[in-house]
Amino acid sequence: MSTASGSAAGSGSRTLHFLVNVGGAGYHPAAWREPGAEPAGFVDPAHFVRVARVAERGLFDAVLLPDIPVQQPGIARGPAATLEPTLVSTVIAAGTERIGVIPTASTSLNHPYNLARRILSLDHASGGRAGWNAVTTFHPGAARNFGVEDLPERPERYRRAAEFVRVTTALWDSWEEGALLGDQEGARFADAAKVHAPGHRGEFFAVRGPLNVVRSPQGRPVLVQAGASGPGVAFAAAHAEVVYGSQLGLPGALRFTAELRRAAGEAGRDPSAIRVVPGLVPVVGSTEEEARRRFDALEARRHPDDEPLRAFAAWLGIPVEDIDPDAPLRPDQLRLPAGRIGPEGFFASLAAHAAESGLPVRELLAQFLGGHRVVAGTPEQIADHIETWWRRGAVDGFTIVPPVLHHDLPAFVEHVVPVLQKRGLYRTEYPGLTLRANLGLQIPPNTFAPAGPDGTRPLEAS
Amino acid sequence: MSRQVHLNVNILNAGVFGGSWRFPDTDPLASFTLGHYVDIARKAEAAAFDAVFLADGPGVREDLRYRPFNNLEPTVVLTAIAAATSRIGLIGTLSSTFNDPYDVARRLATLDVISGGRAGWNVVTTAGADVAANFGLDDEVEHAARYRRAAEFVQVVRALWNSWEPGAFVGDVERHVFADADRIHAAEHRGEHLSVAGPLNVPRSPQGEPVVVQAGASSDGRALAAAVGEVIFTAAQTIPDAREYYVDVKSRAALLGRDPEQVVVLPGLSTVIGATEAEARERRKLLAELVPPEYALNRLAGQLGVGREDLDLDRELPWRLLPEPDASGGSQTFYKVATDLARRERLTVRQLLFRLGGGAGHRIATGTPEQVADTILEWVDAGVADGFNLMPDVLPEGFDAFVDHVVPELRRRGRFRTGYTATTLRGHLGLDEPQWQRPGARAEAVAR
Repeated sequence: MSTASGSAAGSGSRTLHFLVNVGGAGYHPAAWREPGAEPAGFVDPAHFVRVARVAERGLFDAVLLPDIPVQQPGIARGPAATLEPTLVSTVIAAGTERIGVIPTASTSLNHPYNLARRILSLDHASGGRAGWNAVTTFHPGAARNFGVEDLPERPERYRRAAEFVRVTTALWDSWEEGALLGDQEGARFADAAKVHAPGHRGEFFAVRGPLNVVRSPQGRPVLVQAGASGPGVAFAAAHAEVVYGSQLGLPGALRFTAELRRAAGEAGRDPSAIRVVPGLVPVVGSTEEEARRRFDALEARRHPDDEPLRAFAAWLGIPVEDIDPDAPLRPDQLRLPAGRIGPEGFFASLAAHAAESGLPVRELLAQFLGGHRVVAGTPEQIADHIETWWRRGAVDGFTIVPPVLHHDLPAFVEHVVPVLQKRGLYRTEYPGLTLRANLGLQIPPNTFAPAGPDGTRPLEAS
Repeated sequence: MSRQVHLNVNILNAGVFGGSWRFPDTDPLASFTLGHYVDIARKAEAAAFDAVFLADGPGVREDLRYRPFNNLEPTVVLTAIAAATSRIGLIGTLSSTFNDPYDVARRLATLDVISGGRAGWNVVTTAGADVAANFGLDDEVEHAARYRRAAEFVQVVRALWNSWEPGAFVGDVERHVFADADRIHAAEHRGEHLSVAGPLNVPRSPQGEPVVVQAGASSDGRALAAAVGEVIFTAAQTIPDAREYYVDVKSRAALLGRDPEQVVVLPGLSTVIGATEAEARERRKLLAELVPPEYALNRLAGQLGVGREDLDLDRELPWRLLPEPDASGGSQTFYKVATDLARRERLTVRQLLFRLGGGAGHRIATGTPEQVADTILEWVDAGVADGFNLMPDVLPEGFDAFVDHVVPELRRRGRFRTGYTATTLRGHLGLDEPQWQRPGARAEAVAR
């Protein structure tokens, strides 16, 4: 174990953190066909609020809303990205009190001023509970919806992402504490000396500012990032406060987190101020058998064209005929196929786990759902998995990826959370009012007012 | 039956005037909190208003030293309002110059779906170099080019709203069909300014499409309003001015093959209400005194495209120094209203500022609830307005006065609904649900 992750694990105040990934009826492609699911839930605000309230009952840090601005053909067989996530987050914020909301938005297809403003507006609307999952866009169809014919290669996408984040952060700091005066007697509304225009001019953007939204009740919205490719890790190390992503095996997770914290330290950041929360697909049963049977039954409800082995082959980007289900994947099958469209980090995590575990494909599939690690078992077994990874310092917690939202999220909250609480690993109440407080992250000082971090709120958000 | 009046409330931060935030017992910073907007929307819904309206621009567009400005992003605010209400319409302003059509189409479609068919989009082209500088431009985009882009932008957004045919969502568990991919259509738009593939990834809303709102006094603005505006927001000071606009825009719409009845014209109306006429006048006078003087002069100079030093409070406008409206740098609507008013009544700068009140250049109705109701009905009965976009003097208090005293007066006269009869914004406005139209000639179903 690296010293960086070791010191984080040794901290007395360290606690588990959970996000929940909310999309459609759940992460499993057949989720919407499960008994009790409402197929129209993907366009029903009440569905999203219900799910968030369950997670809030489980004292989760935040709801994470994945997104891609394109009509995916998969809509023919199940829900796909539909409602715009900053607005779904707004609805969730209106229906909850403590849980954070983290919409996904692309640095490749947005204007920094507009996105900075929308996320910060969400932050005010939620009383300081907003984050931003900053992604770069690899999907050519999404790009063509924004008039972009040729997406730049990964390094350029990440250079743009880094610049986008720098501009956004500066815009979020436009207003110092106390800049709004509201001095009715003196006819002074705001103190212009405390309002700063970033005046940014870079490779991709020129943005003068200032932003027309005052600073957040939590300082700034929380920056979340998922990329685990080389440039993705460098980006996360430099900017991310929460790192989501895929970790299928413990050795890979340990390496990733150690590398991330080392790189963050080199970038001059406190390595322990990053929360690493990879995806985890929990399938709870009263016995391990029951949990396994449930997952198998779910897998059996996939569309015939999308049955597990076929879907796995498509995900890897190799022909299904080349896979022997009773043998491990061959080394040549674990090299990133040229032209594969998809997140590189997810592929790397699978490749490492397949090689290190040596599992035959059939058994690998029992641990795998769309890039994330499946853990099927009793509440104690799932808690064991979580505890082991956490105690080793591989993670700070997990992004729970319920295969069926209306079933598996309540099961986790009702059965696994109490086990973790009994073990003293997890909170029994929310520690504060903001997403930063949930995550145990400090309020960042305003870059334009470096005199000192200031915990006071500029405004009472209602 | 006499024509029913349509009413929106424009939640212009603390109120329409430059000094609204200084009005006694007003929380000067309320408009920086979500609750301000939600509370006013609830009040408007209780009074069965057609819609709340949010003006906007992506920048600090007021002199922040002297008054509040649009801050929280409108689609976020309207979504929060949608969650707290069930009937009232939700109209947000989004710029066609500083947004991408796919994003605008998606956010408005999302708001429309989330609210059960209550969304509207006020299309603006956004003047001003300050805002342009937030988007990598050294100067503002030229007026005509902005309007050409806007026309194309609206066309693309509407095509995207038609991506999902009615019935495209299936949700058949047994047959394992979630959506009928043959009924989801790409836009494949390639035009002068925009290139958008589509399809949009949001289903059609309960009202078909969000309502398109437009405001424009310039020739380009009128052309766009007539072509695409279902609600048209105007600034007219007098009945003859309003008539000229109303007749012009409706006949332009008819020439384009549209039904003029399906175009709802709502002039802006600032209201200053008192229990007596004298009380209302006192209130109006106080509001004028509360406008920070430097703010008023700077703003007028900026809007007219002259220097602050060219304005003398006790003389008329420096007519010879005034640039053409196109070159003024400000809103042409405001320019026209301000210069027409000053010229017609030979006002000094001080008098002009008082008349404008540090407001948005809209007509100001000062009087008792009966008098305000009178002027509203006078305009509607003259056939120059279908209702009004209200801009109360002070928020929320001036709006409360309208709801509590003017609305009952309009109802006594049988001219304003006593409760909602429809569930969508189109329903409130009497606008037909648009027929689904296959987007683009080269539209193709989503490939499997």
